Amino acid sequence: MKPLIQVQNYSFTYMGTSRPAARNVNLEIGEGEIVILAGPSGCGKSTVLKSLNGLIPHLYSGSREGTVIVDGHDVAETQVSEVAKKVGFVFQNPENQIFMFSVERDVAFALENLGFPRDEIRRRVDWALDLMGIQRLARQAPHELSDGQRQRVAIAGVLAMTPKVLILDEPTSLLDPLTARELVLLVKRLHDELGITVLVVEHRLDLLAGIASRIIVMDRGTVAMDGSPREVLARKEALTIGVGVPTVTRLYGLLTDHGLNLGQAPLRMEELAEAVNRLVP
Amino acid sequence: MVGQQCFEVVAGMQWVSSGFIFRHMESPVHSLDPRTRLLFAVELFVLALVADSPLEVSIVSIVVVSLAIVAKIAKRLVRTMSFTAGFAVMILVINMLVGQPLVYSIVLAIRFIAIVGGTSLFFLTTSPDELEYVMKWFRLPQDMVFAFVTAVRFVPVLMLDATQIMDAQKSRGLEMQKGNFIKRIRNFIPVLVPLVVTAVIRSGELAEAMESRAYGAVKKPSSLYALRMRKRDWATGAISVMLLVVSLYYFLVIAPIG
Amino acid sequence: MIKIESVTFKHQNGTVALQNVSLEIRTGEATAIVGENGAGKTTLVKHLNGLIKPTEGKVTVFDLDTKQTTVAQLARKVGVVFQNPDHQLFSETVSDEIAFGLRNFGFPESVIKKRLEWALEFFGLTEYRDSSPMMLSGGEKKRLCLAIVLAWDPEVIVLDEPTVGQDLVQKEKLREVIKMLLLRGKTVILVSHDMEFVWSLQPRVIVMAKGRVVADGAAAEVFSRPEVVGEANLMKPQLLELSVHLKNPPQKPFADIYEARQWLVSSVSR
Ligand SMILES: Nc1ncnc2c1ncn2[C@@H]1O[C@H](COP(=O)(O)OP(=O)(O)OP(=O)(O)O)[C@@H](O)[C@H]1O
Ligand SMILES: Nc1ncnc2c1ncn2[C@@H]1O[C@H](COP(=O)(O)OP(=O)(O)OP(=O)(O)O)[C@@H](O)[C@H]1O
Ligand SMILES: [Mg+2]
Ligand SMILES: [Mg+2]
Repeated sequence: MKPLIQVQNYSFTYMGTSRPAARNVNLEIGEGEIVILAGPSGCGKSTVLKSLNGLIPHLYSGSREGTVIVDGHDVAETQVSEVAKKVGFVFQNPENQIFMFSVERDVAFALENLGFPRDEIRRRVDWALDLMGIQRLARQAPHELSDGQRQRVAIAGVLAMTPKVLILDEPTSLLDPLTARELVLLVKRLHDELGITVLVVEHRLDLLAGIASRIIVMDRGTVAMDGSPREVLARKEALTIGVGVPTVTRLYGLLTDHGLNLGQAPLRMEELAEAVNRLVP
Repeated sequence: MVGQQCFEVVAGMQWVSSGFIFRHMESPVHSLDPRTRLLFAVELFVLALVADSPLEVSIVSIVVVSLAIVAKIAKRLVRTMSFTAGFAVMILVINMLVGQPLVYSIVLAIRFIAIVGGTSLFFLTTSPDELEYVMKWFRLPQDMVFAFVTAVRFVPVLMLDATQIMDAQKSRGLEMQKGNFIKRIRNFIPVLVPLVVTAVIRSGELAEAMESRAYGAVKKPSSLYALRMRKRDWATGAISVMLLVVSLYYFLVIAPIG
Repeated sequence: MIKIESVTFKHQNGTVALQNVSLEIRTGEATAIVGENGAGKTTLVKHLNGLIKPTEGKVTVFDLDTKQTTVAQLARKVGVVFQNPDHQLFSETVSDEIAFGLRNFGFPESVIKKRLEWALEFFGLTEYRDSSPMMLSGGEKKRLCLAIVLAWDPEVIVLDEPTVGQDLVQKEKLREVIKMLLLRGKTVILVSHDMEFVWSLQPRVIVMAKGRVVADGAAAEVFSRPEVVGEANLMKPQLLELSVHLKNPPQKPFADIYEARQWLVSSVSR
């Protein structure tokens, strides 16, 4: 089967800078994966994400090499609005991605832009609101919402286009822990129910590592590690590169260094506690 | 003082805008189609322009107030009008100073209040959402309509930015009202620069989000809702036009003779 | 020494952001304020240097009533680092940016020079001293904002969400700076949603929800109360979670992974 996203020998340097923000990136992401893109601040994560939905090169100028192909289309050759139907993009700041004065109008925004007929818009808006559990907020104004609710509205707004890929750039960094967790679980549910492919950037991985099938670590513009969360996070380089390795996995590293045999790397404390408990005489 | 004033202006803007910003409410006026309400506003405007005796401008004002009461926005109308009242007094005084007769000056002042009141009535009962639909109905270009929507949507956000920026700079010991005139002007730089920078960053992020939501994909975007004139809109609209005609007849034909 | 007595704060639009909050923060203490979005944490912090005056109640900072004192006077003692660096950076160079606060507080030029050098050096910003603050990366901007405040050496340092968008390395550096400040007897107040970061400092934890303080105590004690964790949308720090699940639990939860390693290794080899 052909991968949904194919990035080949891709490099991008923003206009006016000398160092490439993405350097010879090679990636293949298959349908139905949940992928975390991790790495230290400034390593080029957002640059790669923006290259996947065409914001780069259509909105940002700079020099570019290689190709980005999403669902068979070369993103650089396709209009952003075309790519947007396939790739839903959710940003960090919930405030800056809600335009309209009511939740349902905002969720309808993309569909209106695409010229969908009214009853189709209605159907899709209701569907997206329902999926995100925000139907009762339909008539609320954006300033009446909490940050967590706004983030859900933003997701509903791209889901309405029924994209194949959902991209989230630090979606939970402004949210309180429980709201963040609910959002992560919601993304997982979307994946399970719709089979949507998810690509998410986040610095704190304790919540996300558990739902991801794969983690890609970038360092200085290029892909440094790629594998399952358990495997990648347990590697020493993850720490030295500056990935937000969960406390539990770091502790696991310390313990195995000490010669303890704890089996595969844990992502939740219960798992580690269980492994240790087995060793306790 | 400049700093203090700047602060007060921002606070004042927030206060006034909280009067201007539409709030979801239910009332017979709110439930009308926005175009019917726009018609009212235009009619009141015409009437106020034509009215040229104290009695006539008072009648127009009373109509405005009654509508406000029916729309349950009398309090907020009074609040937004408190600014206007100052201007009205100014008009009165200036006209008297230049030697206009008292009655004429009073008519001018009240006329001014009636005009602003009638317009506010429309804006206070019309959500930005409905305003957008009205603009679309007038076939204004899509970009222009969206620019308007974004402006209204982000004015409060920018004002919040301004407050936060002032807070941040005051926390660094900036005392805006300190020093001589030149110094006070310079005190604005630490507030203005971040304000511009954040506005630019924000607009960049907005542009990214717009693109990602297929903005501009087709020439004529569709819409979730359509404006719909219902029976009561036609009825109230028709009645208001009849009243307008009668009043105009009275104001222009009967009253001048009598 | 900060004293907050029955403070209630209402915004102009009528939102009650704080409701009858009473607190005392002692010198040299590490305090974390945590709680759901919109709980009133930032609002509370703004009371500490007088940016906001209580609608009801009283805030006293070093025996000064904030209602009777200017923000500048208070800010000299209570340095607040806000979340968004773009809300304050405006100078042409990084050096000017740091010197701005020092000039406002009227330090003599010789002292300004010394403090400036120290701050640049300490935060690894020396190579950027003549570049524009706008050109710095997000992480560097955050560091600069901290440098700006520490340059005037306030007694109390307040950090509002300092870890947002920061990677592991930068967080580790930040933790070290905070530890250093505490060692030098400074009072540090941290507002954060990052439970792991909060836990790593083992501070006194004040939990807020809907404008009220719902818990106040040592980190281990506060996070062990499920009703508090639930009400304020928190999550249990992982090391605390670990202690709960161990067959052989420690007397008190592990403060860091090194402590945990020591205990676990010895409990396994026993
Ligand atoms: N619009 C731009 N113009 C010029 N340079 C940019 C632009 N956006 C990003 N860069 C630079 O490109 C590099 C990669 O940035 P990018 O935003 O992709 O990093 P990131 O991994 O998303 O970091 P973070 O975790 O801080 O969000 C950085 O050095 C950054 O300074
Ligand atoms: N300028 C303002 N006008 C009106 N209400 C405001 C204003 N600023 C904040 N609020 C409201 O006051 C309450 C407390 O806000 P505050 O910013 O203190 O919360 P917080 O705990 O810092 O939240 P977060 O974790 O999201 O930063 C919220 O309900 C917020 O909506
Ligand atoms: Mg980024
Ligand atoms: Mg806050």
